[in-house]
Amino acid sequence: MSDSILQLDAVVGGYGKMTILNGTTTSIRRGRITTVIGPNGAGKSTMFKAIFGLLPLRSGRILFEGRDVTGHTPRMMLDAGVCYVPQGRNIFPELSVRHNLELGAVALKDQSGLPDRVAAMLKGFPILAEKADSQASTLSGGQQKLLEVARGLLLDPKLILIDEPSIGLSPLMVQEVFGILKALRGKGVTILLIEQNAKQALQMSDYGLVLELGQTRIEDTAANIRADPRIAQLFLGGGLQPIR
Amino acid sequence: MAEILQLVIAGLATGAIYALAAIGFTLLWQTSQTINFAQGEFVMLPAFFALVAMNWLGGPFWLSCLVAILVSILLLGMVFKLIVVDPMLKQGVLPLVISTIALGLLLREGAKDFYSAEAQPFPYIFPDRQISVLGVQLSLSQIGVLLIALAVIAALQLFLSRTRTGRQMQATAQNPTVARILGVPVERMIMYTFIINAALAAMASLLISPIYLAKFSNGEHLGLAAFVAAIVGGFNQVRGAIAGGLLVGVIDNLAAAYVSTGYRQSVPLILLVLFILFRPQGLLGRREERAV
Repeated sequence: MSDSILQLDAVVGGYGKMTILNGTTTSIRRGRITTVIGPNGAGKSTMFKAIFGLLPLRSGRILFEGRDVTGHTPRMMLDAGVCYVPQGRNIFPELSVRHNLELGAVALKDQSGLPDRVAAMLKGFPILAEKADSQASTLSGGQQKLLEVARGLLLDPKLILIDEPSIGLSPLMVQEVFGILKALRGKGVTILLIEQNAKQALQMSDYGLVLELGQTRIEDTAANIRADPRIAQLFLGGGLQPIR
Repeated sequence: MAEILQLVIAGLATGAIYALAAIGFTLLWQTSQTINFAQGEFVMLPAFFALVAMNWLGGPFWLSCLVAILVSILLLGMVFKLIVVDPMLKQGVLPLVISTIALGLLLREGAKDFYSAEAQPFPYIFPDRQISVLGVQLSLSQIGVLLIALAVIAALQLFLSRTRTGRQMQATAQNPTVARILGVPVERMIMYTFIINAALAAMASLLISPIYLAKFSNGEHLGLAAFVAAIVGGFNQVRGAIAGGLLVGVIDNLAAAYVSTGYRQSVPLILLVLFILFRPQGLLGRREERAV
């Protein structure tokens, strides 16, 4: 597919003896927001870890912009233009907001441009600019999430993997985070998103990807997935087919 | 009053040395989940490196101190990490802890067999003279020890907070997974921590040996004091280790003077029990949350 930025080809992987990704195959379109949904344990977060080189694959291939990136380290993925914002709190609580941001640019080869990049980023996030020199632990949960997103953007990634950004945030903050993601799409950045809040996420997404038991069940436009009666059933725990 | 002041200053001087060892302890724990039960021996041994350089090889004192620090960095920092920590940590934290206990025994008996079982006099870095400040007799050497230890701690804090490498080390300590995700060379940062720990232990050794004499068994008390200082301060905090070290130093000095020298060894243990009972997160520590 010509407009595909990321492809997973029969990816198998897991933790220890447990297999989570069971031949996951998918293709993510460039410049679009794709939301990954699926019941707990479907392998959504594991898929992100596999893409970002945090989980060794047992078999299968991952292609980014047509290049084989299977077995790449996180550092190599950053260099290729991918950033990953994991689930939960991922700031360094005892460092200042500014220093947290700066750490987003560790992988930057030419560190001389760093102060300008940080300044520009702070301009885009006034709340963070206000607290730039406070300890990051003084930020609210939502502000911490904004900090993580801003930190991820410091390297101008082409693809952002963002896992459950809305967890624990107020509805207003969720709107803010989603607004940022939409603005990024406007700039041509590809976003791959995992969201429990599937309905709201699918509303702003272009495409949806439904995972179950580590395999792709449905790949379609977000609108079609929203209208699909099987989705509700999947989330009620019925499964698309009998398990085992 | 003057007597208490003298005791407190002497306590702060030994406490600052405990703090050096305790900081290394917490740094290792933070970045690599290494609880080093050989830490006391790490503080005992560098003095013997200096003695070997001085008495067997005939080097001048200052050069011998430098050699002791460099050899410590090599053996107690890099070789320790590569030969003991890296292979054992793969087996889990407990096997590593047991290995460090074994290493402690090896170093203790090694110092005894290869050098001497007798306590060795060790030169003072500062002249061992008394000066009188406002009617209080103070030991010049203790003040010197205190100042050097505090300067080393201040330099370390500046390095950790003001340099990019230092902040990458802090990031590795505070959240290694996220540090790796951001491209921080986590393995290299962990190696730096081991090097810093060894250098701090060597500094502590050179500062404390004139006071305690260099003896193969010094590690027992030093390791315990550093361990307690780290726990009392809050195991996950460098600042805590400093506060804990100073507190243990002062209290054990006061107890030695007012209760009995015999009880000196037990003071850190009593402090440890009290803290575990009433303030398990330590003076400045934060509670650690663990996902199960």
